[in-house]
Amino acid sequence: MAERYLEELTKIHDAVKQDLLGGRINLLLGWEKGHYWWQSRPLFAENEQDLERLTWDSFCAVNLSRYLLEELKDYQKIGVLVKGCDSRSFNRLLQDNMVARQRVVLYGLPCPGMLDYELLTATAEAELESIAEQNGIVVLRSAAGEKTVEREQLLLYKCRDCRYPDPVVYDQLLLAPRGEKEAPERYKSVTKLEEMPADERYTYWEKELSRCLRCYACRQACPYCSCRECFVEQDKPRWQGRAYQGSENFLFHLVRAYHGAGRCIDCGECQRACPVNIPLQELNRKLIKDINELYGQFEAGLNADLEPPLLTYKPDDPAAFSEK
Amino acid sequence: MSTALNNNADGWDPLIVAFCCNWCSYAGGDLAGTSRMSYPANVKVIRVPCSGRLNPMFVLRAFQRGADGVLVAGCHPGDCHYSTGNYHSRRRLSSFKRLVEFAGFEPERFEVRWISSSEGDKFAEEMEAITGKIKALGPNRKMRDARWQNVT
Repeated sequence: MAERYLEELTKIHDAVKQDLLGGRINLLLGWEKGHYWWQSRPLFAENEQDLERLTWDSFCAVNLSRYLLEELKDYQKIGVLVKGCDSRSFNRLLQDNMVARQRVVLYGLPCPGMLDYELLTATAEAELESIAEQNGIVVLRSAAGEKTVEREQLLLYKCRDCRYPDPVVYDQLLLAPRGEKEAPERYKSVTKLEEMPADERYTYWEKELSRCLRCYACRQACPYCSCRECFVEQDKPRWQGRAYQGSENFLFHLVRAYHGAGRCIDCGECQRACPVNIPLQELNRKLIKDINELYGQFEAGLNADLEPPLLTYKPDDPAAFSEK
Repeated sequence: MSTALNNNADGWDPLIVAFCCNWCSYAGGDLAGTSRMSYPANVKVIRVPCSGRLNPMFVLRAFQRGADGVLVAGCHPGDCHYSTGNYHSRRRLSSFKRLVEFAGFEPERFEVRWISSSEGDKFAEEMEAITGKIKALGPNRKMRDARWQNVT
């Protein structure tokens, strides 16, 4: 682990320990090391002993805000470590009335962007033993030797075009802010797909979506999928057929993406959670791009007081069809 | 819908589903009928209370179960019986139309039109136009439920 992380972890640990032991919060949502060294999974800490497992490194990609939905049923007051995207997810849940602000304490962690293990191994071209980080450089250590790569090139897909590494809502900011970033390539693959002929685009999606197992991991990880009953599990009417076929996969992904129209914060958790690497962010980004083009710039999750664009209207709105 | 597909044994005939708002477009269709105008029988009209009632899943379900084209028709903006229903559906259906196109559907497969209750002629014209466009495009196989494909 890089020294910077150790230093930061101490800061985080001290701050949350005080609150947890002092009774300001009953539970802390953080990260702990998983089965492998390149996994950081959610930690649910109730006491000092649990807190010892707290970690903060380049693999803390899991969005913790989403866990509030379940945990708030059992705990009165919860502290959550939030990165930029997690804090915007929190705003999403707040806006949907799924969480109560006064029952949550947010510890803001400006985020350097998280690393993609698959990309790390692909770059190292061998099984990785460990990594070391310093000043924007990652050293990949494997049986084949050491390899030095720029950190920017090893980021998770969802982190590559991140515009808000700093939390937008928090009670306490624990680390130094990093400032807003530009994301000039955010819509690059959407534009590329848009330029394809319709049939080719259908073939593309048919191929990508054919891998879908309908495990619904994308839904489970998603901060806009907070419905108590999801349409895929509804029986009357049964919208989502159980059959394993292209048609049903299309229905699921189009409807799921559309449920996020104007609400998706583009955190990319869906794509990260997907076990078969379906480019789900492109569907979400397509909707964000179109709604921004048609109805004005809107970045969901930045401000919980702003109404999402599809919940409102203007009498002179443009349309994507002929209004003659 | 399966019977509609079966009727034409000697070739393909398009099936078009038109969701019409009760207050304007459905009444427009009524006027077309009472004025003795004719429009293609390929269009099957489903009445909805308002274009804002339309769940986008209706459209996808129609494509799954045999539709070659889907049309949504509602009141002109400003004329909604419920004041704001079609303003909302304009935003929703615009983004949904773009999403459906992004998934690989031809833009003509899913259309939205504003038709008022006094526009019987426009109703007939639009139905004629969309049927013509879908005929030119040919049958839709995209998103078709595999269990419906083999019905002959």
